[in-house]
Amino acid sequence: MLDALMVSIPEYFASLKFTALLRALPGGVAQGLIWGVLALGVFLTFRMLGVSDLTVDGSMATGGAVCIMLVLAGVNPQLALLASFLAGMAAGVITGFLHTKLGIPDILAGILTQISLYSINLNIMGKANQAVNVNKVAFLFSSNAKLLTRTIWIVLGVCVALVVALYLYLGTEHGSALRATGINGNMARAQGINTNRMKVIGLALSNGLVALSGGIMSQYQGFADVKMGTGAIVIGLAAVIIGEVLGEALVGRHMNFMVRLAFVVLGSVIYYVVYVFVLWLKFPPDDMKLLTAVVVAIFLAVPNLRAAKRNSFGRIAKQNAKAARHS
Amino acid sequence: MKKMISLVLAAAMVLGMASAVTARAEEKTYTVGICQLVQHAALDAATQGFMDALTEKLGDNVKFDLQNAQGESTTCSTIVTGFVANEYDLIMANATPALLAAVAATDTIPILGTSVTDYATALAIDDMDASVGTGINVSGTSDGVPAQLYADTLLELVPDAKNVAILYCSSEPNSVLQAQQFAACMDEMGVNTRVYTFTDSNDIQAVVTAAVEDVDAMYIPTDNTAASNMTIISNVCVGANLPVICGEEGMCGAGGLATVSISYYDIGHVCGEMAYDVLVNGADVSTMPIGHAASPVKKYNPDYAQAIGFEMPQGYEAIETQ
Repeated sequence: MLDALMVSIPEYFASLKFTALLRALPGGVAQGLIWGVLALGVFLTFRMLGVSDLTVDGSMATGGAVCIMLVLAGVNPQLALLASFLAGMAAGVITGFLHTKLGIPDILAGILTQISLYSINLNIMGKANQAVNVNKVAFLFSSNAKLLTRTIWIVLGVCVALVVALYLYLGTEHGSALRATGINGNMARAQGINTNRMKVIGLALSNGLVALSGGIMSQYQGFADVKMGTGAIVIGLAAVIIGEVLGEALVGRHMNFMVRLAFVVLGSVIYYVVYVFVLWLKFPPDDMKLLTAVVVAIFLAVPNLRAAKRNSFGRIAKQNAKAARHS
Repeated sequence: MKKMISLVLAAAMVLGMASAVTARAEEKTYTVGICQLVQHAALDAATQGFMDALTEKLGDNVKFDLQNAQGESTTCSTIVTGFVANEYDLIMANATPALLAAVAATDTIPILGTSVTDYATALAIDDMDASVGTGINVSGTSDGVPAQLYADTLLELVPDAKNVAILYCSSEPNSVLQAQQFAACMDEMGVNTRVYTFTDSNDIQAVVTAAVEDVDAMYIPTDNTAASNMTIISNVCVGANLPVICGEEGMCGAGGLATVSISYYDIGHVCGEMAYDVLVNGADVSTMPIGHAASPVKKYNPDYAQAIGFEMPQGYEAIETQ
């Protein structure tokens, strides 16, 4: 790989400027926070409901498409985001309907909705890629370098608000019913909870958040693309798992639910920081995705390996092995 | 944990020192960031032409940061915000999503686009006159070839064509535009066109198999996804002995019959010359007209022609295929 760069190793390291990485980080953090909203949505279905919802690839693009088309029509950008949220909820309701009323397995229901949303998104935008003249519309969420710090604060505020809202909602009777559906469907039904309705509501909320993330993303990058959601489920799941592993490693026993939600957003930010780091390493473009996966794998493996090392079972096993060798 | 922290800090120190140790030249070195959407022959050629043009003029005084977004438009944003944060002197955006991401990220750093067919549509600027520039910090070169030339070529090769299939990826706006223009030309000449679209590389085979039924020829515009998957397309088309007119030379060489080609290397080179103007001569990028390549040349793929038993008329240059 390195010889493809045709430079020697010391020259390669010399060409990497640490300051360049530090300056590229804010962009990565901003995108990480925007995808953090998506990660919260994925967390809701994946961890709370126990459903693997593949609709997100489609609903993210739907959020972006709806937002951009409304902004082009002259609607206030913030109202357009609200519309994106509602559009996402509609997508979630469709998946929920396919799953609960028609009995299609949740993964397939998600895929079906995702496929249909591709055509729906193309119809919403009229073409595959629709840009907004960023010089004519003042977006709150802008990737313009001069406004990047402001963007980060605003998205951080949005994430905090969503974390608090989710925390409060999941503590209500309704929200607890949703969690019960995910933990043990049979017991929930025995307690009189309408699990079908809970699943639909959960899917609707989750896809609403995902579409909101898509809307913010399209404002950030100045255009909506029908393919912008491809791979979103992978990033969402990676963010959730990174957040969990990190939370376990850093906070351990003291983790409460609010911190858990915060770590989901943090997981998304870390994923994007890793991506920026890998871009900064200037490896050949072909190997980029492999490298991202490797870095994320190392991230996730280290806490587990350390825990296994410190595990009392492991120590006793070693002691026994030692004793067996000496005797 | 402590050991880990001290290791990380030590590594950071070493990296920081390594960059400080190498001496930097005193002359002005320009840093140019290149964001390429995806890897395929045409875009790679454009990037190469751009880098060659600047290296010819500036030699060692120009540094390139070439990044590839692997086809994902959100990655374009990550790449470009990194360029802007590091205050590069110029950004070259290769393909439309890269261009749009760059425009969103900065309104001060000059942006030169290439491999973009229509700047007015891409930038959503109404009544833009390409000959006087965009009015914002964007200029560049276009890879557009008038659709009439493709239409004329197709009818020259297949004079009694009654039905023509147009194949492209539905997620690429440039392809849609070219397909519409081509269909309009064909309509004027009294030929029926049928549009076949695929969403990504997974459904190409099925769509092409349906497309080759009952048509006399096929036209594929300069579509990034089709360009990356010409082997699948040509396998089906060769089986049906179908003449295929492609949007550009790379596609044709990989599996089409003929094309009206511009050299992507050339439009990259012209873009590089425009970049030199902006960097060294201080030209105002907002008033630079959109550049084009030199006149298009009709080319054909001899292997494909042989495979479908097609006799090529005079006036076509052979593409060397591997």
